[in-house]
Amino acid sequence: MRNPHIRLEAVNLHYASVSFKERSVRELLANTLLRRKKRVSLQDVHALKNINLDISKGERVGLLGHNGAGKSTFLKTVAGLYPISSGCVQVDGEVRSLFDLSLGFEPDATGRENILYRGLLLGLSPEFMREKEPEIVEFAGLREFIDYPIKTYSAGMQVRLAFAISTAVGGDILLLDEVIGAGDANFMNKAKQRIVSLVEQADILILASHDFSALENLCQRGVVLHRGEIVFDGAVSKAIIEYKKVNGLS
Amino acid sequence: MRKYWQGIWRARYFWTHLAMSDLRSRWRRSFFGALWSIIQPLGMTALLAIVFSKMFNSDITTYAPYILSGIIVWEFIAANVTGGALSFVQADAYIKQCRHPLAIYTLRTVLGSLTVLALASLALYGWSLTVMPQNFGWSWLASLSIFPVAALIAWPMSTLLAYVGVRFRDIPHAAGLVLQALWFISPVYFEVKMFRQGGMGFLVDNNPIYHLLQLIRAPLLEGKWPTWENYAYSILLALIFALIAWFVGRKAERKVIFYL
Repeated sequence: MRNPHIRLEAVNLHYASVSFKERSVRELLANTLLRRKKRVSLQDVHALKNINLDISKGERVGLLGHNGAGKSTFLKTVAGLYPISSGCVQVDGEVRSLFDLSLGFEPDATGRENILYRGLLLGLSPEFMREKEPEIVEFAGLREFIDYPIKTYSAGMQVRLAFAISTAVGGDILLLDEVIGAGDANFMNKAKQRIVSLVEQADILILASHDFSALENLCQRGVVLHRGEIVFDGAVSKAIIEYKKVNGLS
Repeated sequence: MRKYWQGIWRARYFWTHLAMSDLRSRWRRSFFGALWSIIQPLGMTALLAIVFSKMFNSDITTYAPYILSGIIVWEFIAANVTGGALSFVQADAYIKQCRHPLAIYTLRTVLGSLTVLALASLALYGWSLTVMPQNFGWSWLASLSIFPVAALIAWPMSTLLAYVGVRFRDIPHAAGLVLQALWFISPVYFEVKMFRQGGMGFLVDNNPIYHLLQLIRAPLLEGKWPTWENYAYSILLALIFALIAWFVGRKAERKVIFYL
């Protein structure tokens, strides 16, 4: 029996400022040789500050915070995408993340082909994707257009297909970043149900959102991030109140 | 380290797909499609062979396949240098989303260009067989070794360039210049005897590009087995690139995402 678990201990994360300071060899040389004074000095961005968090099996966690508070950075750190500058991140279990839905589509290939391609990106095997295909086609509800090239799709259709594929496979740990809110009203309903069932299958959910009702429906625990720090960790209803307080909304 | 290799293996469907989709989009909607990979070097060879054989007084029937072998292998190298340097930048959407080992994105470039090389070499095999049938023999088997050996050199090389190229976007431009310089001092189009006659034999004997080319040239054009030096130089180059790439990658691998 696996026991999915996330533990962060004294995690700090800096966005290295060199990545936007020196974009070329010329600038690097000019800066070191001439000791040129810059008009604006950019510091390393301290995106996560001393984060301590323990999430164990069965928990549904909502992440709150204004734009730039570190929600996405936090999720990407848990997903193992960002290197932390200090501390320790321990993630047991298979992580499935929904960050940017429209990624990895090949515009010239048909919707059906793209189902396969996207599955491969997620690290799944071709056989498995072929098995899942009818279900995905059915859910996306694109009718005959599934055999048309993606570039003929409207933006909404693309999102529907992307959503259908990305949510077809669950994982032990589910990371969601503001994905609810795609497609027309009819699809929205379907999408919400799908998310709920995906959440039920998953052992751990972390959802970053500004949608208070979604947070209250899906999560029990709420974590409020403010300027890279955890300012509140507790019941989600209290977290929403705290979030409003921190940001001067009430 | 072992985990890294496991990651590459787990993502095998993904990078083979990426490489194939590169090829598909390259040939999509063109009448000749994949045939272009054969036609293009052949046409180029025809032009160059006519001019060069007059200029250098060489026999056109044997000189043309020499040029052809030079063109296709050089194309492979050039594709991996310029394409490799950009491969992380090009794959930014994937890198920001999924945690796969970064070397799969250069593997994609290598695999794609290797397929093109294999296709183009069909013309070389055909040509050599018609013009110099006396060369055909067991040694031709050795000519197949150029594919794995070239890949072993190209993969760490393009990975290394990609690590640097993601931070310094000047790399593809600079690499183009370096390639041009290398081209002049290597027996790609120019015959080996021209270097030797000019007292520049050292440019040939110590040149890994020459040794790599010999893997296919010796059997097809001379009917001989490649020498152990040819293999030694090629493998040594691959090892050196691999070591540097590993050393740079140890520090750079996880930071790449910040530069995208």
